[in-house]
Amino acid sequence: MTHRAASLSLALLLGAAFGLSTWLQPRALDWRGQRAQAGSLLEVLLGDGRRMFANHFFTKADVYLHSGYYPSLFDQAKMNCEGQRAGTAHDAESGAAHTTPAHDEDAHDFLGKPTDWLDAFGRKFRITEHTHLETNGAEREILPWLKLSAELDPQQVETYTVAAYWLRAKLGKVPEAEEFLREGLRANPDSPEILFELGCLLDENRKDATRARNVWQRALRKWQKTEAAKAEPDKFLLDRILTSLARLEEREGNVAKAIEYSIQLKTVSPHPEVIEKQIEELRGSPRQAATNAPAPPR
Amino acid sequence: MNTSFALARVVIQELYRRKDFYVLFVLTAVITVVLGSANVFNDDKIVRYLKEICLLLIWVSSLVIAITTTARQIPAERESRTIFPLLAKPVTRGHVIAGKALGCWLATGLALVVFYVFFALVTCLREGQWPIAQYFQALWLQWMMLAVVVGMATLGSVVFSATSSNATICFVVVVGILLVGGHLNTVAMQQPEPASSLLYTLYFAIPHLEFYDVRDLVIHNQKLIGGLDCLLATLYAAVYTAFFLVAAWLVFRRKPLSA
Amino acid sequence: MDAILRTENLRVEFRARERGGAPKLALKNLNLSVRAGEIFGFLGPNGAGKTTTMNVLLGFVTPRSGNAFLFGVNVREPIARQRIGYLPELTYYYKFLTAEELLRFYARVFGIPPAETERRIDRLLKLVELDPARKQLIKTYSKGMQQRAGLAQALINNPDLLILDEPTSGLDPLGRMKVREIIQRLKDDGKTVFFSSHELGEVETVCDRVGIINQGELIAEGRVADLTREHHANLEQVFLKLIGYQPQAVA
Repeated sequence: MTHRAASLSLALLLGAAFGLSTWLQPRALDWRGQRAQAGSLLEVLLGDGRRMFANHFFTKADVYLHSGYYPSLFDQAKMNCEGQRAGTAHDAESGAAHTTPAHDEDAHDFLGKPTDWLDAFGRKFRITEHTHLETNGAEREILPWLKLSAELDPQQVETYTVAAYWLRAKLGKVPEAEEFLREGLRANPDSPEILFELGCLLDENRKDATRARNVWQRALRKWQKTEAAKAEPDKFLLDRILTSLARLEEREGNVAKAIEYSIQLKTVSPHPEVIEKQIEELRGSPRQAATNAPAPPR
Repeated sequence: MNTSFALARVVIQELYRRKDFYVLFVLTAVITVVLGSANVFNDDKIVRYLKEICLLLIWVSSLVIAITTTARQIPAERESRTIFPLLAKPVTRGHVIAGKALGCWLATGLALVVFYVFFALVTCLREGQWPIAQYFQALWLQWMMLAVVVGMATLGSVVFSATSSNATICFVVVVGILLVGGHLNTVAMQQPEPASSLLYTLYFAIPHLEFYDVRDLVIHNQKLIGGLDCLLATLYAAVYTAFFLVAAWLVFRRKPLSA
Repeated sequence: MDAILRTENLRVEFRARERGGAPKLALKNLNLSVRAGEIFGFLGPNGAGKTTTMNVLLGFVTPRSGNAFLFGVNVREPIARQRIGYLPELTYYYKFLTAEELLRFYARVFGIPPAETERRIDRLLKLVELDPARKQLIKTYSKGMQQRAGLAQALINNPDLLILDEPTSGLDPLGRMKVREIIQRLKDDGKTVFFSSHELGEVETVCDRVGIINQGELIAEGRVADLTREHHANLEQVFLKLIGYQPQAVA
């Protein structure tokens, strides 16, 4: 190939590549949806790999909560294998031993017995005791990882709700929790989970029933908008929203509203008979009787 | 013995006259200080994340120092021809191997002391506690691990002609053992034969460097490791180090050198 | 007088560079001896085997057969090198050390006590005229200064035998003269010097005996005066004649 032909070919290729990238770019943004609007430097540098790091740091927070006692990938694989074998064994036996306390304890003891002398010796240099951070505000140690995880993947709503829970419920940092939740809402305006957690904060920490009610009602509307149409909607979240609304209305004396929410709750609760019993109690309560009683003559 | 110590002294002089150590230390210090000044929900008592990141940087830096310093010792002596006036003295090749390895190990030990003093100052001032015994134990165990790494790199330096090959292979092997070495038995149990037997053989043959990685114990304020266990770990490291150094001597003594 | 440097039927082979090639015979049954107190010049064209002989004497290379002895001790024993000093042709020393530190290091290797070490360092640095530069790093030295530092390290243990490989290579005339003076002074002190050189005029002036090696074989050995008288020529002409040099006819 002559020099001129090679140059022309190269120019043609560059032109084609440029044209293709220009044509693809707006379509790529549509494919990726909301997450395509990369903002911070970390997001730009790490690209989609940031979600992997975000998940890693979210798990790291859990590791810290357990003071470092946490199964590695290999331990988890081993547990899965043993679980499958145990499941096969249980299926073969017709009894059930799934819910014994011993079985629950086993789930936490992922290390099991040492397989050889090296394994036994190696355990002397590892954390082998299952504990939780739960004294003197030690839970604060999980916060940096949650913050970093949220920074890397603002669309992972669980990060915000978990962090906010620990901040407000265990560390007494209510303003920080609220600010973090609002930050999460800015990144995820349609998130019923974050709205629900914000409602909990307003109700339990700020003692502001009116605002809590408004936020929970908004959460309910967002749930209906985002989850209701799904093949497997998040019924657990709906359960929690309706339960919180029902309890709030009951506490505020709005029994009718409480009953209304309880009736909705009955349709998604795993224990409808319990909810039915609560509804009956609400109907029979003095406040409800007062509501139902005719007005005294003038 | 005098000869080996004299050689070791020269290695230490070289380390603190080169820039590598200072660059790594400054990098560790800057990253730690920047992270330490980050505002995490207006809480200035949070310290474990700082410990984790600082210890990670210390581990990476100490491995870089140990492997790169050791990997270049004997090849540099041969390339720069400084080995000839050295071997023209009543110095055996065994002295050279022992002296270089000892020097690299002592040099990394000195570097570790500096790193750990900085680490202790930063974290203890923040935490309000001074678990010096625990930090010393972590330093000691890490130093023992580095003895094995130095031995490995010394053997590599007489086997491989290029320093970069040796350093790369050492890094890959060390990081591999740290990440996966302790789990080879778990993986082996899940494999069919003959892979299972091969993995088990490998599991028992490799030096288990992950024993010496007690960062989690330091980060999460766990109790000290027993004295006997520490001693056994020290002996374990000494055995592997001796094995690598003897192997290096056996290879090196047969190599022809032409002035 | 007993030889303090002696080789017996020394044979050295090197593997061929190309695969399947025959090994190269670097030394063929070399028999050499150097007596105490003499200056011995070891001459030969490039590739003759001079450096290989020195490498064997210093233990860098193992011979295929034969033996070499220093002070009656086989060169395979490290103790054989306790009383020698060696100056290589290409002088490279630890660039991150100063001349003072370099000499201190080698003194430690010999086990010389610290007080004696400091005395020797002062004396040697003055002898090789490196005293003003003693605290500068070797990497800042010129070639001549490095050569002189090399000479100082070769003398740190007050050796009875000095092995010098082309000691004046790369030096200016002043430097070469200083080296010759040092060699003469060493001889006056009763030391033995064994050196290789291409400067035949220098060798003729300084040496008591010479050995001429060509293609791995010692082709002549004896007193300089005896060789020049026997061949009725100067040392250079004797050398060229013995190695079989034929002058090219001018067209």
